[in-house]
Amino acid sequence: MGSRAVLLLVGPSPPKQNILFLLNYKKVSSAPSIRRFTTKATADGSSLEPPDVARLAETARISLTPQQVEAFGPKIRQVIDWFGQIQAVDLDSVEPSIRAGTEGDDLRHDNPETFENREAIIASVPNYEDPYIKVPKVLNKE
Amino acid sequence: MASTLFRNIQTVPLLLYPSAFFRRKNGALYCTVKSSSSSSVTQTQTATQEKQQDPQIKVSAQTQTKTFDKLMKDYEAIIGIETHVQLSTLTKAFCGCPYNYGAQPNTSICPVCMGLPGALPVLNSKVIEFAVKLGLALNCKLSLNSKFDRKQYFYPDLPKGYQISQFDIPIATNGYVDLDLPMEFGGGHRRFGITRVHMEEDAGKLLHSGNGSYSQVDLNRAGVPLLEIVSEPDMRNGIEAAEYAAEIQRVVRYLGISNGNMQEGSLRCDVNVSIRPIGQSEFGTKVEIKNLNSFSSVNRAIDYEISRQALLHSQGQGSSIVQETRLWEEGSQKTITMRKKEGLSDYRYFPEPDLPEVIVKKEYVDSIQNSLPELPEMKRRRYESMGLSMQDVLFLANDINVAEFFDATIAKGADVKLATNWIMGDIAAYMKNEKVSINDIKLKPQELAELIASIKGGTISGKIGKEILFELIAKGGTVKGLIEEKNLVQIVDPAEIEKMVDKVLSENPKQLEQFRAGKTKIQGFFAGQVMKISKGKANPGLLNKILQQKLNATS
Repeated sequence: MGSRAVLLLVGPSPPKQNILFLLNYKKVSSAPSIRRFTTKATADGSSLEPPDVARLAETARISLTPQQVEAFGPKIRQVIDWFGQIQAVDLDSVEPSIRAGTEGDDLRHDNPETFENREAIIASVPNYEDPYIKVPKVLNKE
Repeated sequence: MASTLFRNIQTVPLLLYPSAFFRRKNGALYCTVKSSSSSSVTQTQTATQEKQQDPQIKVSAQTQTKTFDKLMKDYEAIIGIETHVQLSTLTKAFCGCPYNYGAQPNTSICPVCMGLPGALPVLNSKVIEFAVKLGLALNCKLSLNSKFDRKQYFYPDLPKGYQISQFDIPIATNGYVDLDLPMEFGGGHRRFGITRVHMEEDAGKLLHSGNGSYSQVDLNRAGVPLLEIVSEPDMRNGIEAAEYAAEIQRVVRYLGISNGNMQEGSLRCDVNVSIRPIGQSEFGTKVEIKNLNSFSSVNRAIDYEISRQALLHSQGQGSSIVQETRLWEEGSQKTITMRKKEGLSDYRYFPEPDLPEVIVKKEYVDSIQNSLPELPEMKRRRYESMGLSMQDVLFLANDINVAEFFDATIAKGADVKLATNWIMGDIAAYMKNEKVSINDIKLKPQELAELIASIKGGTISGKIGKEILFELIAKGGTVKGLIEEKNLVQIVDPAEIEKMVDKVLSENPKQLEQFRAGKTKIQGFFAGQVMKISKGKANPGLLNKILQQKLNATS
């Protein structure tokens, strides 16, 4: 669930993260148009911006030593370039889809169901002071 | 009203609360006046610390309002509103947990809404239904294909570390809402654009402890479905903004998709305010205001913020207005800076991989369109065409239950104006006193119609009608039944009235003497006495006619 992109790089298989995750998006307040990918695959590799590892780590709340920041930059770049091979496909005659997958609806009815093992959930909360979950005080979002 | 202004004068030598003196070019005056109000917007001002006015300060304030008026003539305010509507579905958006406001904390949770590893969201079909209903009611274009996205940020009330929302393809776009401003504020028709409506989930509740070292989280609310409505920046002042919010509330209540309660948090408004010199096409710097808990605070906060910004401009400090979020402080009646954020938020939006595309078929949309109730705007136009005054129209159409009661009453043939008067008068007063809704009273629309017909037809007098009404509201029953049971039929037989008049005149010789001596007002006393012995049933018109005849004959 939590996207630990950097950690997954250490493993053998490429991460299943969507390539979009690693591109920088600023908050847009009004309705934006659909994103179009304008980067083109080049012979010598991707023409995408190099990853700002320090910033990525900050937004993902992962602490890295300066050495790790140095080391992970090229590794992340490699993964992106690996995915970048997709850009060689000619999409001119293909209708853009809204998202991957075409399974269609998977809906449920509005019928209440109580989860039967609430106690187990509560028991696994690291710091629980009945009836609340106790957390450090954080006043500002982001 | 003026004294609140002067209270502020003592702390800051500027007009901080100019609403009373705020005029628009077309001459409509807005002032937060107390009103008998049918509109939910014009709540009377919360008790303010009114101190005795110092006459000297009063004089200087008046010269300042003139400067202020002059200042505002050069600027216009641009206001946009983001509204979050909490849907009244039985279960949350992505799991089957029920949601009940006020339940014991952390009792309605499951792995999905707690964001535990491996849990997967499944969309509640009712959320789509409510979203389509709202989109249609707000005259939007619906996206038959849309998707969910992850909006990622870390905060203690957000279990997954992201909120499932809709970023670039919302379910509805490009709509508008029509409304009428309350008569107390000059009235007038307005149309405000709606940029978009999208589906998303709510976060949990975060409570900060007093001593400051830790906070508490209740996740009952995490995952509750919301519809976010973003308006076009079409509003120009606090009243327009407040009425927009009130209309959104009316619409969601009419549709039955939310109870739209600002105090409970099922309707939340954040406003964006900027000002610019009139004639300039670029927008000024936008300031966001949060913590608005009622329509009147929406109104007051916006007016305050407009004046704050205008003042800075007038002092050449327009550049000190920065894009920020301010909080409305109800106590001091002003907006204050929240801690300033550094830089824009980066939410790293990407399509939610755990949820499929949202596909809505045209037949589905059409069937919902056909099942929509008559919306507030349509009702208002229909009532207007029936000849009711705008004041009446706004009252009747404000609450869907009142409108339905009214519609049912006139469907039984009752006179429109009379039905309006009864509902807005005695019935509304009862509802207010007993703090009940029109659905709780025992009076039924057909009985109101019957009552109106009985009075109109002369079976009972108006006065008796009022008495029966109270009993019908409180205890129920039928008009015919009560008339019979209490023998209330109006006496219209002249012979019978004559007998009673004769009796009264003969039993009150002293008053008769007084009348003959010139005290003509005593006729009222005799009329009262006849009413008494007839137990209120004598037809007043006939009674007075006969009484007059008899008195003149004997003098």
